[in-house]
Amino acid sequence: MARKLLRINMSDLKATYEDIPKKWAKWGGRGMTSAIVFDEVDPACHPLGPHNKVVIAPGWVTGTPAAPSSGRSSFGGKSPLTGTIKESNAGGLSGQKIAKLGLAAIILEGTPAKDQWHYLVITKDGVEFKDASDLMGKGMYEIDEILWKDHPKTAVIGIGQAGEMKLSNAGISINDPENKPGRYAGRGGLGAVIGARGIKAIVIDDSGGPGVEIANKGLFEKGRKNLTEAIQEHALTKKDGGLNAYGTDVLMNIINEAGGLPTRNFSAGQFEGAAKISGEAIAEVVEKRDGEGMTGHGCHPGCIIQCSNIYPDESGKALVSCLEYETAFSLGSNCGIDDLDTIARMTRECNDLGLDTIEAGNSIAIAMEGGLLEFGDAEGALKLFDEIRNKTPLGRILGQGVEATAKAFGVHRVPTVKGQSMPAYEPRAIKGIGVTYATSPMGADHTSGYTIAPEIAGVSGKLDPLTDEGKADLSLAFQASTAFIDSSGYCLFVAFPILDIQTGFEGMVDSVAGVMGMDLTGDDAIALGKEILKMERLFNERAGFTKEDDRLPEFMRYEKLPPHDVVWSMADEELDKVYAWVHED
Amino acid sequence: MPSITVNVSLYGAIAKYAGGHHVAQAEIVLDGNSNIGDLLDKLTISAEEKGYIFKNAVLCDVPGFDAARDELLCEGDHVGIFSIQHMWPYQYRDGVRMSEALTRALNEKGAMHNTY
Repeated sequence: MARKLLRINMSDLKATYEDIPKKWAKWGGRGMTSAIVFDEVDPACHPLGPHNKVVIAPGWVTGTPAAPSSGRSSFGGKSPLTGTIKESNAGGLSGQKIAKLGLAAIILEGTPAKDQWHYLVITKDGVEFKDASDLMGKGMYEIDEILWKDHPKTAVIGIGQAGEMKLSNAGISINDPENKPGRYAGRGGLGAVIGARGIKAIVIDDSGGPGVEIANKGLFEKGRKNLTEAIQEHALTKKDGGLNAYGTDVLMNIINEAGGLPTRNFSAGQFEGAAKISGEAIAEVVEKRDGEGMTGHGCHPGCIIQCSNIYPDESGKALVSCLEYETAFSLGSNCGIDDLDTIARMTRECNDLGLDTIEAGNSIAIAMEGGLLEFGDAEGALKLFDEIRNKTPLGRILGQGVEATAKAFGVHRVPTVKGQSMPAYEPRAIKGIGVTYATSPMGADHTSGYTIAPEIAGVSGKLDPLTDEGKADLSLAFQASTAFIDSSGYCLFVAFPILDIQTGFEGMVDSVAGVMGMDLTGDDAIALGKEILKMERLFNERAGFTKEDDRLPEFMRYEKLPPHDVVWSMADEELDKVYAWVHED
Repeated sequence: MPSITVNVSLYGAIAKYAGGHHVAQAEIVLDGNSNIGDLLDKLTISAEEKGYIFKNAVLCDVPGFDAARDELLCEGDHVGIFSIQHMWPYQYRDGVRMSEALTRALNEKGAMHNTY
């Protein structure tokens, strides 16, 4: 059965199944969300108004049997946080179940009558629109539990109170295999756009669904086997490798030693408490408390990397999943907080309220710099989440993200690009990522530019990392390859082995080609990625963005970052080269 | 030559060499004119066990290389040593400050890998 689009209009509560137009037929994941948003959303529209949409798309290989670590769902729309096009993807249960229903995308559009809220139940038989009154005001932990009572073993996509309030930092929650809300399409505020559609939650039940059609089973099988072997062999992704043993927070001590760990609102590159909030510290807590906590946890069925964790409370009960590097930085070092238990509790608050942890922590750091509380005040920071839950004016300001909070508190050190705050890599100390932060269509984003092998990227692998030369070409190649991987449904961490193991890269491409019946080579991966970037870039241009928006914040040009005492020095002209090709074709 | 004391952090399995499990910190006394090779030897960390090495926030070595042994140490230096298990994907280290010896070594082998 050919893949279908499911269009859900919340104005008249109608759902229609459509054939995929030829122009979108080749896309999956991010490629699909960006293509639909590019074609159907007015770039000038208000993100919370009636003309914005949310598109949900599983990746090309998502839902296929035994494609490793391939359970991603992409969520796209115009971002309330940035005003740009946005794609944010996550693991959890939703991607595989949407794909197994034979759906290439779900388009959420229209607006309901005032104060009318629904939750949707999507099965092989269609869409039910259900009154969500009993779910309103509730956090995602309770929502997931309630919905599994009537719809066990389903995927639950939902928004917390932040999405109900249509805050710019509202993320989209997806339940994990334990039915906890730890997987977030967090960045960019798309939870508010779902809220603006009057949707509190979406239940996906794939029982009896047609499954994913595979055009060339032999090619798919060959590809997925090669990729699986590469993941299992590579030092970063193999069992008991760095990611599996310590999770993404394995980077905390490394980035700190390098002097690139954003600390106390991006005023320093090292944090004296880094070791206490690192992946190594999480592993020690898990072992010591000897209960429900674990490392090496998978966020979706079929993940063989398993970089997630379950952090236990003092009694050994599961407190939150997952405590990641980005979270430990934003709610930890960037707030001057070195108490892992409090960081875990704040992470749980984010997961419950439906907030992106990066933006939430960075907003608290801004408020600390603005004098609301002292850096390092862990209990004070934790209490701020009640301000959001109680819908106070302060809570609403914090929930709008870093830029709004900075304006409210008169702070000029504002670490954002295109309205989105920076993740856990200080670009003054780690210069390569600064180019991607500056130029990504998504705003400052650490997942926009994953490395690909030099011969595929068309650049020299012997580039001098200390010079600016070639960084623009490199960033473009990274951004393009990342857009391809984001479309595949594979976890972005497959990028680690496929850089070093050629058969792994070929396996990824072959598995995609096998599912889609496309004739693909490695060069095509970059070309397809550039097609996606071009749509995203043009959308942003039509929304009013120019190359002047491809800049890091001013303070990074004059404020020296200790311990290296460096500033951001890359010439604007170099940054402008990254997307100079968009109007050349 | 008076002795020197360096502050050392060990991360991952090698923390056992300073009495830790996953993380350990120690003040290590060495002879004057000692280098990182001497420090590794004193801690009994083998070449197969060590991964990234930093001296005072400068990256001096990566997994599979041997670029840090000759790096001289001074009184009060901080050295961070990671186990071979630790990861640092290329895009998150492109442009960090590195020692001259490591820069030369990476220029010879190519910097763009995730295994180091």
